[in-house]
Amino acid sequence: MKRTRSGGDEEAPRQNGSAGGRRGEQQPQSDGDNGGCDFGPADLPDDDNDPGLRREIRSKYRDLINSVQQNREDMLSPSNNKLTEVLEEANKLFKDVRQAREAALDAQLLVVATDLGKEKATQLFAEGNTFDPTAFAEHLLSFMGLNRLEDGEDEQPNGDVVDGYLPKDAWHRLARRAECCFRTAPSFHYMMGSFHAEPPPPKQRIERQRKAPSKEAKRIMPTQLKKMEDSQQEATEKEVERILGYLKSYYQDDPTSPISYYEFVIDPSSFSRTVENIFHTSFLIRDGLARMYLDNAKLPCIAPVEEGEVEAGGSQSRKQCIVSVSPKIWKELIDAFDITDTMIHPPNTQTE
Amino acid sequence: MTQRKRLSNTQSSTQNREEDDDTTFTQPSTSQVQRGLEKVTPAQVDQKTAEVVQYFLVKDQKKMPVRRADIVKHVVKEYRNIYPEIMKRAAHTFDQVFGLKLVEIDAKSHTYILINKLETTDGASPINSPANPKMGLLFVILSVIFMKEGVVKENVIWNTLKKLRVDPGKKHEDFGDVKKVVTDEFVRQRYLEYVRIPHTEPVEHEFRWGQRAEIEVSKARILEFMGELHGLEPQSWSQQYREAHPASNTQPGTSSQR
Repeated sequence: MKRTRSGGDEEAPRQNGSAGGRRGEQQPQSDGDNGGCDFGPADLPDDDNDPGLRREIRSKYRDLINSVQQNREDMLSPSNNKLTEVLEEANKLFKDVRQAREAALDAQLLVVATDLGKEKATQLFAEGNTFDPTAFAEHLLSFMGLNRLEDGEDEQPNGDVVDGYLPKDAWHRLARRAECCFRTAPSFHYMMGSFHAEPPPPKQRIERQRKAPSKEAKRIMPTQLKKMEDSQQEATEKEVERILGYLKSYYQDDPTSPISYYEFVIDPSSFSRTVENIFHTSFLIRDGLARMYLDNAKLPCIAPVEEGEVEAGGSQSRKQCIVSVSPKIWKELIDAFDITDTMIHPPNTQTE
Repeated sequence: MTQRKRLSNTQSSTQNREEDDDTTFTQPSTSQVQRGLEKVTPAQVDQKTAEVVQYFLVKDQKKMPVRRADIVKHVVKEYRNIYPEIMKRAAHTFDQVFGLKLVEIDAKSHTYILINKLETTDGASPINSPANPKMGLLFVILSVIFMKEGVVKENVIWNTLKKLRVDPGKKHEDFGDVKKVVTDEFVRQRYLEYVRIPHTEPVEHEFRWGQRAEIEVSKARILEFMGELHGLEPQSWSQQYREAHPASNTQPGTSSQR
């Protein structure tokens, strides 16, 4: 009785499906890629192409598949009729299946349901004694010498079902008894033992390789930094101070005669030195250590600011201007001012 | 070359199609072996046979099956034209000298294992070697599969093991990484098959007996032990009993032990 029922669970809906005339006709088409395309318009109701309805059917199928997968264990119990209900439900849904996507879902449900049916069927096959893994485990524990009386609290503090503890040789004991079930070839061992075929761990080499580059990196980094400071900021500051020194000494030589700005910065032998001088001199102006003004002939002149005047000059409103110079202008200026020698000697020649 | 291929194809047509890396090797025909044997001295053949025997013994330490492709590649090498003769002699040596049987477990990939030819005695083995606890673990799994008619969801196995204080997620004192031992080592040794069940979400696997277990493990003995544990006669599991005694003679544990 039971067996026939489980068989019926699997097959009945499929038979119903092919018995219905419409469904039998549609099934081969919905298997193909273009299911639903070659339906004659005459024998189809309009809702066949209604996307909302299609979606609803697919959603119901998915729910059904989900419910089978979620409740699998419950449905396996022999007294549970859920599988029949699911298949009846699917049968109802299948009435409205028109397109390949829905048919695919129907097929998927069939796979899931069949798998479940198969498992239910195997339960029924067991004649005589059924086998219960839980009971088996209990018997094994006894065989392995489980001590059920003593408290095994410190054995597995977070274990779930721990009562009693197993002796250390529990699995050895079981293995020894189970040995007779195996016709295992005894494994062969060298009388004197064998050497370990594994290569020694290449730990050291790795460490060495790692250390070497890190040392180099350390060596390089600081020297680079020093050079940067030297060449960039400090050099500029030194040069600015040096030029201020020149300016002050020329001023002190003759405080009454103004120092022409162009005569001061232009190096007739080098255009690039001229540009550098203009650049460094601009720092003096910015920091308020020197000031520029136009003389009677409207030519720019430069003079150092006296110590006491520095503060006052800082608070004055400042004017900004851009000094531009090109090699052509530079040559014209040299001719115009008749400059023969530089007033600011380049640092290396000056030291000689 | 072409002639040789044609020859071998016609003469030993059954086992010439090789998969994967075995493609370079075609089983030589009987006549080829005959001709090959004429070119080597008997001492050379004996030497090669001894090497194959040793290769098997060493490989068997870890119970990994040996593939024909590996034997040819690592041991037989240039003697491949007399390979069938060498294997025949090696099998004979195992049989007569070691009391072992060389069994081909997979005719497709030509994979071999060694099993014990001698009938095991009841009770503890006479050799006082330390028992391998993994055999106990394997026994539990094989028993559950057998008692559950050959296929079992992995969850059943994990749950049973948990009751035996073996958690697949934790490191075990005797087995280390339990999950790896069960789903990798036992599978590679061909004691177990671990296959994904199609269309399951989340992914589920099921266990079956592997080819080695089918040959090496006695279902009748398992059932006997089962009866002993449960305090029942082995016959009370009629389905399993019939499978364990396929010759259907009702005498337990005599002739038809597999």
